[in-house]
Amino acid sequence: MATGNGTLAGKVAIITGGGTGLGKMMALLMAKEGADIVVAARRIGAIEQTADEVREIGPRALAIPTDVTDPAQVNNLVERTLVEMGGLDILVNNAGIVRGQERRPLWEVTDEEWRIGIDTNLSGAFYCCRAAIKHFVDQGHGKIINIASGNGMRGNRGDFMYGTAKAGVINFTRVLATTFAQDNIQINCIAPGFVNVRELQPEPSTRGSFLTSDFIPVGRIGVPEDIGHLALFLASDASDYITGALFANDGGGLAGGVSPTGYAPVIAMEED
Amino acid sequence: MVAGDFRLEGKKALVAGDSKYWSKYAGAALAEAGADVAFAARNAKRIEEAAGEVSRHGQKALTLKTDMTDAAQVQKMVDQVVAGFGRIDILVNANELLLAKPLLETSESEWHRMIDVNLNSAFHGCQAVGRQMIKQEKGRIINLISCLAERGVANFAAYCAAMGGVLQLTRALDIEWGRHGITVNAIGTGWMSETEKTGAPQEELLLKYIPLKRYGRPEEVGSLLVYLVSDTTDFLTGQLLYVDGAAMCHL
Repeated sequence: MATGNGTLAGKVAIITGGGTGLGKMMALLMAKEGADIVVAARRIGAIEQTADEVREIGPRALAIPTDVTDPAQVNNLVERTLVEMGGLDILVNNAGIVRGQERRPLWEVTDEEWRIGIDTNLSGAFYCCRAAIKHFVDQGHGKIINIASGNGMRGNRGDFMYGTAKAGVINFTRVLATTFAQDNIQINCIAPGFVNVRELQPEPSTRGSFLTSDFIPVGRIGVPEDIGHLALFLASDASDYITGALFANDGGGLAGGVSPTGYAPVIAMEED
Repeated sequence: MVAGDFRLEGKKALVAGDSKYWSKYAGAALAEAGADVAFAARNAKRIEEAAGEVSRHGQKALTLKTDMTDAAQVQKMVDQVVAGFGRIDILVNANELLLAKPLLETSESEWHRMIDVNLNSAFHGCQAVGRQMIKQEKGRIINLISCLAERGVANFAAYCAAMGGVLQLTRALDIEWGRHGITVNAIGTGWMSETEKTGAPQEELLLKYIPLKRYGRPEEVGSLLVYLVSDTTDFLTGQLLYVDGAAMCHL
């Protein structure tokens, strides 16, 4: 990584799900460009670790344990941020879980499973936006980045709650964008592809595994940096006329999707 | 100011095609981020002006008067850029010819010219530069197109068809060249202007219709362009990304 240029200096960012994986990488990359970071997630240990790494880079950091499916905790997250960091400029709705992917028959899905799936992956983003956006309107600027998924753009077998909630996030982004365009708030959406989030590894995964050879045109699965840099771009002034947009960052797979290999056999042009 | 990780030091770019804004603004954005830039278009005055912007940022510029609708000229031009720069890391296809006319009044030659300038030029650019990028096992291709690649508007059938063609070229090449380290993306621009008002008919209505209530400034496309061609986007390919002030969001 190159050194930062201070493009986010003086900004405060909340990153939900910031203790691990994509959220942690976003926190570190934004910190490197000068942003103060508030890390929110349920597990205190992980978010304190991210906060420590942000402080090592230089900016201020705060770890606030938060369950985004609880509106009271979300309101507390935003209030504490405003009081303790003195402002809020960027909100990244990254918290979410792949749940309800067991591919059971639809008639076996319980009310509770449906509710949890939609709450975690869609309602959490609503609670966070609702808590932060009045402040953005009052100050006359703000950036929101919602993390969706390719599962919200295509219908995968048995993917009832996650796929539906992520589709909801994508259109929630568009509705927010048109509603708050004049308030100088940019709201965009990232759909990450397959990303290895188990560890922050600097090198791309080796080519040639089952996943990479069959489904991903660029020939590797993603690394957290792929998504983190996109979030950094969307958090900065460089994206001020971009709002309501969906950025799929998936190694190219979503551009195709009708052939199992992505490749058609060569056919000579013949006219009768 | 460009974020540190998006800097383009040492990179060689080619901005190809005739269009109202993009030689100048794409060139300036790439040069400001640290790239050297070659320009290829028919309009010699326009590419000289764009080269001036690049020099102003202290980067090297090349200008090659080229008709992008002529495959032989394009190949010759690409050979000259490779001779001058040693490689091509970034190709920006920036071809735009407008025609607003009911389809029934559109002549055969007008239709062919629209497809030739807006679509075939991008094909020529991708083919000639793609050959070089496959040798390099790395490259970034950006097709600058319009939101009308995905939406229809009356009296714009030829333009919509051509832009839709470039979008599908983008998606197919993503998959065809992904394994060669080449990413292929499109930027879909909304209503752009260098000035706050243009005096266009029904301008007030249009500005009310764009959620952001203003035209996009050409440099706001440049900042996305720089991110997309940086070293941080190996995984981002086959996409159409809008710079449109949310115009594509609403009904």
